[in-house]
Parts: sequence; C-alpha cells; structure tokens
Amino acid sequence: MSLRGVWQLKKLIVSFCDWGGSSRGIRAFMESELPAFIEKNPQLEVVTELNRGYHPLLKGFYKNKNERVVCVKNMTPEDVLQCASRLRNSQGRKVLKLKTRHVTKHPSVQGTWSTDLKIAN
Amino acid sequence: MANRRCFQTLTRCLQSIRTLSPISECLAPYTAPALNQTLAATPPNYFFVNKFNVYQRAAVAMRSFCSRHTDSDDDEEEDYETEEEELDEDDDDDYGENEEDSANLSAGEKVKGPTEIGYTVLGPLQKSDRVFKLYEPVFAVVQIGSHQFKVSNGDTIYTERLKHCDVNDKLVLNKVLMLGSQTQTIIGRPILPAAAVHAVVEEHALDAKVIIFKKKRRKNYRRTKGHRQELTKLRITDIQGIEKPENTMPLPPPTKEKEKAEKKVAMEA
Repeated sequence: MSLRGVWQLKKLIVSFCDWGGSSRGIRAFMESELPAFIEKNPQLEVVTELNRGYHPLLKGFYKNKNERVVCVKNMTPEDVLQCASRLRNSQGRKVLKLKTRHVTKHPSVQGTWSTDLKIAN
Repeated sequence: MANRRCFQTLTRCLQSIRTLSPISECLAPYTAPALNQTLAATPPNYFFVNKFNVYQRAAVAMRSFCSRHTDSDDDEEEDYETEEEELDEDDDDDYGENEEDSANLSAGEKVKGPTEIGYTVLGPLQKSDRVFKLYEPVFAVVQIGSHQFKVSNGDTIYTERLKHCDVNDKLVLNKVLMLGSQTQTIIGRPILPAAAVHAVVEEHALDAKVIIFKKKRRKNYRRTKGHRQELTKLRITDIQGIEKPENTMPLPPPTKEKEKAEKKVAMEA
C-alpha cells in the first residue's frame, strides 16, 4: 500500500486483553510473529495496547485520515498476521465496488474516435 | 506395459543365448554388443522393438525354453516394476509439496509462474529511483493473464492478485501487443518482443463484498454466499519500445510491421 512510493499506513495499534480467551491468538502472535512483522516494516509505527475486558483489535491509521478497525477475536496467530498484512497492503480507501479496472487521466493519445473520423492511407 | 514386455523379451534373450549353443554362436557377435548397448543406454520403447524384430528366429526359439527360467525371470521383472513404481510415487510427492509451500519455492519457480502470465518482478523500489514521470503521449496494449489493458504513463490498473510480488515492487510487463504514439503505431503479431512496460505495485487489497444469492422459487431453496476478490493495483511508470516525441531513444525502426509482413511473404513463397 503506497501511493507513488509513499507508504499509506502510518500507525498500527494492537490492542489485546490479558485475561480473555478470545485474545489467545493475538497474544501468541505478539510473541511469535509481531517482531518479524515490525522488522519488515520499518516505516510503520506499531503500538501494543492492553485493553482488559474487550475483544482483541487491530487498528490501522492511514494518511488519508481513515481508520480501519479489524476484530481478531478467536483467530489463530497466522490469521492475525494475515489481517495485519492486509491492513499494511491497502491504501485506506473506502471499500467501494470498482467502476472500471483502468483509471486514467489521459484516455486518448491519438485522438478520440468518432464516426466522422477518416484515416488517410 | 511396453517396458515390461521389452524387459521380458530381453531377459529371455539373455537366458536363451546362454542355453542355445548353435544359434548363439552365429548370433552372439550381433546380439551381445547390441543388447549391451540397449541395456546401457536409456532407449525409448521403439528402439527395443526395432532390435527384436530382426531376431525373430531367436524369439521363436526362446519361447520354447521360457518355462525353464520362469522363476528367475519373474523375480527380475518384479524388481524392475517395483523400482519404477517407487520412483514415480516419490516424484509425485515432491511436486505436491513444492506447489504448496510458497516459501520453499526455488527462484526458478518464482520466475516461471509470473512469466507465463506476462510479467517479471524486478525488485523493490529504491528511494533513489525517479520512476514517476510526467505524462507522455504514448500508449501500449498490455496483457496480464487473460486481461488486456490500453495503458499510458501514470495510469492505474487493477488486476487479479499477482503472486511473488510485494507492495512497492517494480514489475516489467512483457506481453505487449501494440504500441502507439501521436505519429506512429506498432502492431505486434501477436506480441512485440522488444517492447516493455514498467509498472510499480501500489496495493494488494480486497474488492467490495459481492453477495451471491441463489433461489429456486416454490422449492424451499435459498443460499447466500459472500465473495471478496483479491486485487492488485499497478501504476504504470514507463513504456519502452517506441520513439517518444521529445526523447531520442535507440529503438527498433517503425517499419516493424512491414518487416514482419515481408518475412511472412518470403515464408509462403
């Protein structure tokens, strides 16, 4: 996720619970895979937060001031890593249905075709 | 099956040559070296068949003595068969594992998959690379997998999730079908080999959720399924293979389609 070479995800907050069973996966993720994830992404600020009594969350803050919150309750550490990678790989845009698969500002190079156009041979 | 038959006839030949003295005397100088060659090399099946068609008399004579050497023949044949089967099973297992573990894929596998679809991964973008240029009035028709796009500098393309490439990676799209500028058009038949389109991976994201709803009326059948397609967003940075209006580049001449047409005519004539 980077617009013209600039990374879009600024901060990732990993909030978990010490006591709850739904946080087991994320606690295991923090021990096993989170250090490697932080090393691979030096541009990203990762904060771990203790939030007792709540289900575990991954909060992503993007440069377009968008916040994406993903609940990772009862997920395995591999699934939590996949969620974190998805947040890091995306651009923080609102998830809308794509209108076209090709977005361009200059649709025509040789001139737009019309029925009156005559090509000289 | 053919292999087994060949081995059977081979072993019978070898056994009978030792027993049949008169025939072996005349055939030995021909059979022994020929058989040794065929045993030593790894010949295709037809090679065996050709050699044994010549010695029909020997084959007929050998059949009468087959019954004596059944035990030894069978043992040898079984050993050959089991060895072949074991080797095949091992090969299948290895291939299965390779496909599953992407982390353990060799560099060759990582390059082969993408190149079949139509792109090559160059590597991560460096801070010093000035890749994002101003718009140039040049377009290219590029194919990735089964989708084709008419692409220009600075455009954005959404394709299916591309493997083995991370965000901020540089790619080269090899399958270019057509190039065009304000003065020239170069058409490939079907691909232009000297053309390349450079792109940068911007995002690997999921599309919006599409709900697949199935219903058969009056039959009490209703199903709902959610689907999110995995997409990759590419930004096109550079098109190479055509003369751009201001820059002077050492490129293939614009008469490429004429040359190809001439070659075709020469071939037909």
